Amino acid sequence: MTHEVAPDRLRLMLFISGASPASTRAVRRLRDLCDRNCPDGYDLEIVDVYQQPALVVSRGVVAVPTLIKDLPPPVRVLAGDFADESAVLTALGLSGRTAD
Amino acid sequence: MTSPDAADRGGPARVMLPKSLTGIDGFDEITEGGLPTGRPTLVCGLAGAGKSLFALQFLVNGATRYGEPGVFLTFEEPRDDLLANTSSLGLDLAGLERDGKLLIDVVTLQSETIVEAGDFDLEALMARVAWAVEKIGAKRVAIDNVESLFVTFANRPAMIRSELQRLFRWLKANGLTTVITGERGVDTLTRHGMEEYLADCVVLLDQRVIQEVTTRRLRVLKYRGSIHGTNEYPFLIGLDGLQVLPITSLTMDQQVSDERLSTGIPGLDEMLGGLGVFQASSVLISGTSGTGKTTLAANFANAACERGGTVLFFSFEESPAEILRNMASVGLDLARWVAAGLLHFHCERPTTLGVEARLVTMQRLIHQIAPTMVIIEPVSSLSSDTTGPDAPAMIVRQIHYLKSAGITTVLTSLTGSDMGEPSTQHISSLVDTWVLVRTFEGSGERNRGLYVLKSRGMAHSNQIREFILSDNGVRLVPVYIGPAGVLTGSARAAEETIERDIIAGLDEKAAQLAAALEGRREAVEAHVAAIRTDFETEESLTRRLVETTEERRVALQSERTAEGHKRTVASTVNSPSRERPGDPREEASR
Repeated sequence: MTHEVAPDRLRLMLFISGASPASTRAVRRLRDLCDRNCPDGYDLEIVDVYQQPALVVSRGVVAVPTLIKDLPPPVRVLAGDFADESAVLTALGLSGRTAD
Repeated sequence: MTSPDAADRGGPARVMLPKSLTGIDGFDEITEGGLPTGRPTLVCGLAGAGKSLFALQFLVNGATRYGEPGVFLTFEEPRDDLLANTSSLGLDLAGLERDGKLLIDVVTLQSETIVEAGDFDLEALMARVAWAVEKIGAKRVAIDNVESLFVTFANRPAMIRSELQRLFRWLKANGLTTVITGERGVDTLTRHGMEEYLADCVVLLDQRVIQEVTTRRLRVLKYRGSIHGTNEYPFLIGLDGLQVLPITSLTMDQQVSDERLSTGIPGLDEMLGGLGVFQASSVLISGTSGTGKTTLAANFANAACERGGTVLFFSFEESPAEILRNMASVGLDLARWVAAGLLHFHCERPTTLGVEARLVTMQRLIHQIAPTMVIIEPVSSLSSDTTGPDAPAMIVRQIHYLKSAGITTVLTSLTGSDMGEPSTQHISSLVDTWVLVRTFEGSGERNRGLYVLKSRGMAHSNQIREFILSDNGVRLVPVYIGPAGVLTGSARAAEETIERDIIAGLDEKAAQLAAALEGRREAVEAHVAAIRTDFETEESLTRRLVETTEERRVALQSERTAEGHKRTVASTVNSPSRERPGDPREEASR
């Protein structure tokens, strides 16, 4: 990520479990959604809960997939495979842009 | 570490049912060894029932006593609160964590911040558990209270259920002995029916308010493949955490002592086989009000201090000052033992505090002071109506505890009637020596009588003794047993006087009889003397008559002789008949 850090640039952390179908689906859908709705770009960190359990504990994650939006504030936590796209957009604060 | 999916391939084959000790007093006894090893146990109950404490004790004891590290996964309270709350119970969670014997994972669930956007599962939760277990090589896991998940993800109860089942299968497959707590539902053991898939072992903790006093009960509802006590067992949360009171399964393995201790009253020692009570035994002194129970107990204390022992005196009715003053009035100087640091008083007015709280205080003091003798005065105040129906059971537990600790226990019990009340009967079956103090009424006074109702392991007197309190102390005297029954006090004295009078009367009569006999003897002798005198008179008269007669005969004879001479001179032929016709015998005798 070499983009200049903007205050409204999305910083996301996605917790998945290996190559499970739901996890694979979630990664694909999220990337697709963000690519379409984030003209300024975004940072996405993908965490496998079995690879980095300490991070799972420190972030208080129980569900998979879980998406945490750290920036811009407020911090939002989403759980699911992002089948409900409008809910994701609302939670990430991107719904207004789609309307544009 | 395998993924939780590995659970589906099944766990290791089990031949017998191994158990893991919880270290919770009493619980391991009623389950005959603790919880099923390598299997999950559901501990359910309402909020505040002690579920979390049960889970924590299971882990802490596992880590400290049984060499089994544990993971505590809690949904309940923040880490700082948890550490603070448990340190007051003497559980050093932070220290155990530093030593790698315990790992606490606090799961913070804030439902309002989680947006649901499509399907998900709880794989991350499983990853956390798996990671924690692997990190410290855990053998035990406790999950407190997993049902919070149903609140957080309220829309997906089916998903949570299946995920929890997967988690439990995984725990089982990995041989982890697990405690899972669940909050009690309205008609179900847990709000979300977890008992349906946690069927190996189910423990129910109950908390009820009966007569304004909280009582706690524990019941093992289910224990697959094992025998277990099925009753409700009262339990308390004390210094050492949970204590279950399995009355019926108290193990009788304490050391017994042959050493005998004086009761401080020579007369009572004499009644107890001449030597007093056994060390580490329990003595119950029961009686109605004002019978001198406290004085007897104080004598026990005094004797113990004289031997150099330490006495902890619990008084629920009188203050130390009152006891010291009252005992001084019967010649017992207890103040010197207080000054010497041998006698410790703990006085507490009867309150509506539960017996649980009372026993916790007592336990703490017993730990602190480490006495050789404990006096509970009166134990009946612990088991009155206001302390709840479990009080007798708790007291039994307390007595058992004292006994196993080698502490001689003296209990006094106030009874309404002479034979005691149900609660006292409960205790009396457990105590080794039971001394009963009764009052005997009569002659306008009440007197105290004492007898030994039972005393295990020694020959003891079956007699009632009168128990006299004086300025010089306690004295036991044999009572008067007469046709009118047992007499004490002035009635005894009166009866003794009557007896004395009778004896005196008998003596007098004998004396009279003796005197009468003597009189008769004198009369008889006088009579005999009179007869003798008569006889002697007669005799002497008769003798004189005889003598006179003889004299006359001699005189007559000599007169005839002289006459004959004259006749011979005058005429030689003379007829004798002519001489004296009236006396032929004299002629013949010639």
